Amino acid sequence: MKIYIGIDVGSVSTNVVAMNQNYNVIFKEYIRTNGQPLDSVKKGLKMLEKNLDHSFDSVVGVGTTGSGRQLAGIMVGADIVKNEITAHASATIQFHPDVRTIFEIGGQDSKIIIIKDKMVVDFSMNTVCAAGTGSFLDHQAERLGVPIQEFGDLALTAKKDVRIAGRCTVFAESDMIAKQQYGFSKAEIIKGLCDALVRNYINNLGRGKNLEPPFIFQGGVAANKGIKAAFEKEIGHEVIIPQHYNVMGAIGAAILAREYIEKTGQKTKFRGFGAADFDFSPTSIECGACANSCEVIKVDLNGKTVAMWGDKCGKWTNSLVG
Amino acid sequence: MRVGLPRALIYHYYYPLWKNLFEQFDVQVVISDITSKELIQKGIKVTVPEICLPIKAFNGHVINLLSKNVDYIFIPRFVGIESKKWFCPKFIGLPELVGYSIDGVKDKMLTIDIHGNREDTCLLENYRPLCNVFNITEKELKKALKKASAYWQEFKQYCMKGFTIEESMQILNGEQMVSNTHPEITLGLLGYVYNIYDPFVSMDIIKRLRQMDVKVITFEMMHEKDIANVFSKKSKSIYWTFSNKIYGAAKVLMNDPEVDGFIHVTAFGCGPDSIIGKLMELDSDKFRKPFMTLRVDEHTGESHLQTRIEAFVDMIKRKKFAEQRRELA
Repeated sequence: MKIYIGIDVGSVSTNVVAMNQNYNVIFKEYIRTNGQPLDSVKKGLKMLEKNLDHSFDSVVGVGTTGSGRQLAGIMVGADIVKNEITAHASATIQFHPDVRTIFEIGGQDSKIIIIKDKMVVDFSMNTVCAAGTGSFLDHQAERLGVPIQEFGDLALTAKKDVRIAGRCTVFAESDMIAKQQYGFSKAEIIKGLCDALVRNYINNLGRGKNLEPPFIFQGGVAANKGIKAAFEKEIGHEVIIPQHYNVMGAIGAAILAREYIEKTGQKTKFRGFGAADFDFSPTSIECGACANSCEVIKVDLNGKTVAMWGDKCGKWTNSLVG
Repeated sequence: MRVGLPRALIYHYYYPLWKNLFEQFDVQVVISDITSKELIQKGIKVTVPEICLPIKAFNGHVINLLSKNVDYIFIPRFVGIESKKWFCPKFIGLPELVGYSIDGVKDKMLTIDIHGNREDTCLLENYRPLCNVFNITEKELKKALKKASAYWQEFKQYCMKGFTIEESMQILNGEQMVSNTHPEITLGLLGYVYNIYDPFVSMDIIKRLRQMDVKVITFEMMHEKDIANVFSKKSKSIYWTFSNKIYGAAKVLMNDPEVDGFIHVTAFGCGPDSIIGKLMELDSDKFRKPFMTLRVDEHTGESHLQTRIEAFVDMIKRKKFAEQRRELA
């Protein structure tokens, strides 16, 4: 069977999926990145290798996406390296062709993607503030001593509404403490936080956009029932959570890899599962040649430099050519 | 005599004019370095925090020139270059903004006030203060202005052929340029010259877009008459000169079937852009052309900007090719 691999390297999680020709996801793994993107990718590849029937399955295309897409792409030998918007939208359209609005909330970024006739027509992403994202919830869960897995369920048990300022995580925190002192329960505070996150998200990203159903909610935060409920209350409509909600970016990367391979008829550049054992080391150097002090990323494979980027002038990037 | 030109703000638009003018009087023109992290940091340090990035960059360039052993630093006060239109207040107060921010600059500042209704700014009364400084007669100045204006017009002609400002300057210096061959899509790139053409501020957006096979059209690549005529007698034009040019350019390009979408590059905190940005966004909705705002400041991250540009270009390409496939079928 022909297999396409998709890898999404995000700030909080690294996801690896394998998809067969019928767009069935035959393997998926959600791994916490913990600041070690390459190790996470290696781990994911090893797990995938164990799960494939190698006499029968062969990898014919690989795609990477996410903030670490470039690095992961070089490591595994990706056929395509795509941005998260295109990847997420491609996956959602595959499983929910009638989708009009995608809410995606990840670890440190969030986006709204507007779709019409299976095409992305508009999108917005959060800029420098992570107020409406997964790390915000992670942080608050830790503060309240509630495991993040139980966060959503607990929110649903709240009996009263409490409004928490959600514009900024710093103020949300002090507001939360104040509301705790007023005597609101943990469940109510958590529900308040969910409402605040959604309110902030819709106000920031959805401003001026016409949000039409069907609404699809994906990304790691979609596991949180409290957020789903808050979304449904805020927009007054059902919100659908897709089956593979937490690995949609990776699925999209696999779909885009397939599209590319089929269009070009090329053979995959996949380095093989041995890539997991390669000695792969990215280092960062601060170039001192001019006043820009660019942070240049250098990637070595088995002791040989295979990629460099991050320099404004191209001095390092071009040094590898030839 | 050495006169320094800060490589910032309106420099990108008038550089050929001033260089030509000054050199006619045997003045050596010294340009500040290309914006770098260090240069901009120096500007930020001396500037009030709430002001926009382009002004901070300008101060950085002035500081840079102070170390280049120049006799003067040319800081014109742009008030107006067309009737009933003005410059942003920061341009009108620029000599003061710089003078009170940077120690030791006041003695070196060479300031003239630009008024009137000529795009080339070449009115004798605008440049008259130069007579004393350069020790020349009014007659000589008048003749030189005429020559400089003609030179600048030539530069503008190259811009209007679709070359960027940098490319047009290179052509003016006798270099050969080829326009991009087979772009897949065309985007209107809307923004002030000092944002678009500062490689640090816009992170080389034109280069990035061209690498993605995008043809880029900016306001200075268009004919001024087309831009002016787009405002009918009944509809109000915009109060600020360059904001009006950009909004006018957007209006012309909205009607151009070749243009697939728009990117508006704006500096965080820009007052005029808060108005034209919204107007252009509303128009693009009406004309069903994708529109994206890139708001830049000193904290803008490169990877984030790249992701947005990639996603925007991808969105337009995929849509366009799907439409083409449908038409073929």
